[in-house]
Amino acid sequence: MPASLNRRHLLSRSTTAGFFVIAGKWLWLSPQEAEARAFKPQILTPDQCKALSALGDALVPGAAAGGIAAYIDLQLQAGDASLLIGKYLGVDTSAQPGFYRAAADNVTAMTDESTSMQSFIAGMSADSLSIWAGPPASYVLFVLRADALDVVYGTPEGFDALGIPYMAHIKPEKPW
Amino acid sequence: MVIEKQDVVIVGAGAAGLMLAARLAEGGQSVTVLEAGPERKLSDLVSSQIWARKLKWSEPAVSESGNHKIGHAFNAGSGTGGSALHHYGVWLRMHEGDFSLNSNHGVGLDWPLDYAALAPHYDQVQAEVGLSGDSVQERWRPQGAPYPMPPLPLFTQSRLLARGFEKTGRHTAPLPLAINSEPYQGRQSCQYDGWCDAGCPIGALGNPLVVWLPRARAAGAKLEHDARVSRVIRSAKNAQRIESVEYLQDGERKTLQADRIIIAAFAVQSVRILLSSATEQHAAPGDHSDKLGRYLMTHPAATIFGLFPEETYPHQGVTAGQLLNHDDYDKKDAPGGFGSSQWMIGHAIKPHDLLGYGTNRPDITGAELAPWLKQASRHLGNMTLVCEDIALPDNRITLSDKVGPDGIAYANAHHDLDATAAARWTQRMSEGADIMRAAGASEVWSGPRVGQHIMGGAVMGNDPAQSVTDAYGRVHDIDNLYVAGPALFPSSGAVNPTFTITALSSRQADHLLDE
Repeated sequence: MPASLNRRHLLSRSTTAGFFVIAGKWLWLSPQEAEARAFKPQILTPDQCKALSALGDALVPGAAAGGIAAYIDLQLQAGDASLLIGKYLGVDTSAQPGFYRAAADNVTAMTDESTSMQSFIAGMSADSLSIWAGPPASYVLFVLRADALDVVYGTPEGFDALGIPYMAHIKPEKPW
Repeated sequence: MVIEKQDVVIVGAGAAGLMLAARLAEGGQSVTVLEAGPERKLSDLVSSQIWARKLKWSEPAVSESGNHKIGHAFNAGSGTGGSALHHYGVWLRMHEGDFSLNSNHGVGLDWPLDYAALAPHYDQVQAEVGLSGDSVQERWRPQGAPYPMPPLPLFTQSRLLARGFEKTGRHTAPLPLAINSEPYQGRQSCQYDGWCDAGCPIGALGNPLVVWLPRARAAGAKLEHDARVSRVIRSAKNAQRIESVEYLQDGERKTLQADRIIIAAFAVQSVRILLSSATEQHAAPGDHSDKLGRYLMTHPAATIFGLFPEETYPHQGVTAGQLLNHDDYDKKDAPGGFGSSQWMIGHAIKPHDLLGYGTNRPDITGAELAPWLKQASRHLGNMTLVCEDIALPDNRITLSDKVGPDGIAYANAHHDLDATAAARWTQRMSEGADIMRAAGASEVWSGPRVGQHIMGGAVMGNDPAQSVTDAYGRVHDIDNLYVAGPALFPSSGAVNPTFTITALSSRQADHLLDE
């Protein structure tokens, strides 16, 4: 983040859009814009982002292009002000980076190009994956699916895709 | 800025705190409210379930344990308005039997007052806030003044669900809501867009920002935000009096003196503040008989969903729902479990977020998801069961060994659901699925059992050996320290607590002004 722009400034503008490093420069973008422009994550590694995008997209098609990895990375940067749904589930914000890193590393370790993502998801759902490490796979699945739903359907565009009128009193600054 | 000694300091700017601030300031008292969270304005209430998470409790996290957790982060709020800023506006009176649970059934606790003592305050508060409902159709309602506004109009989803109740021999009535069905006291009527959970910025829902805050400010009450109270400090001359409140603000440790101190920081944080006020010489205020923190409660609740052949337009309406069923409310001893229960029927609902219909079908993924969501977006019905929790001494709030960077200890909250209350929940959920099918749903499923609302921890009672405060919320062993809000509840009933919280605060305000 640029030195002249502190965290309070970032949060005052928006927490669903933010500053992302693109080709070495800080730019103010929405997560889907950041994803499209190959952002450099600040909390997760590129491989972890790739894994979360793949799983998120398998759960909720559109989540990868919608910027789920950038969304998660940005919210993890926000610390106590994170808007990730884990907040509701009692996941301490200080523990959230570890939660997502572990989830991504599990996906990377247990899938490859020959893996059927749907069978992997079935294994997560049943907590039957033999080498899964960290929080229960079914719980991780619930959280990531909820994150993916936020990214794809938690926006005016997402409502529109489902044929639901958004009817905002105050429309979000970033129409995510 | 140094704040002069106040007549009253109130900790917490939620429904109880701001209501007391308004009434006491209007009564001529100098009042300062210390709020741990940031200042919230109506313009902050953006219509987005993601942005709405800003309004909920954040840090420090409350560590939870037990087989039925209280869901602190979801149920609590932070900032002006507290949890009432994102509450859904279901304002129901507790029933007469809720006040004498132990006397009538030999379980839980009794209140130190009865329904008749609160009834005039329910009436007064409903006129001040503005409630919409139909007291005649609401056949189960305890005695009280009619609602000042007619009920909200009924939308398609609720009409379909009412069919299921009728076919199974049950009744429905308009859900009483602190939401304007018509303009009321300068506030506009609802637009039925279902964004209540994100906070109502138009003033149709009677949250504290539009009801109590303007009155409190007009009467001279002061608000300090981002002012996190660490403890209350006893007088060196008289250990039965609290001399000041210590809080952290702008990186500084400050104190504020007052003649009377009211802790209205929701259940968990109110107890945390009192427990943190123990010294080497004195137990924590209110902990004279090891009751402080005990009897923590949360309603066991869950939502049942169904898909209908008809179009239901479930985005229309209000988050709370539109209809109510209390047929079984007063049958606490009925076979199958223990406790009261209610149905809130026909919630306006979103596809995502914790309560969303997409989130509550984790089995649907991949290519099947979008078509299913499109169908649900037009054909879904849903209703929520709320059951009674029973106050148990081992369900309690304690201080954590973990201390934040500001030196303030975190809180733990342990809650197990009594087996008979759990059985009642299971029984009613099964009945709910039958009702949903009778209404015509072709596919029925339910969300998980969750903790809805948080009560207890600093319960009121007549016996100082069995309770933390007296019937006016005064801490038994301290002359000038009061608790307000849901921490006082000795029983939970099965109704949403905000109306009772506010009626209790109204009674406290009258008492304090009469002293």
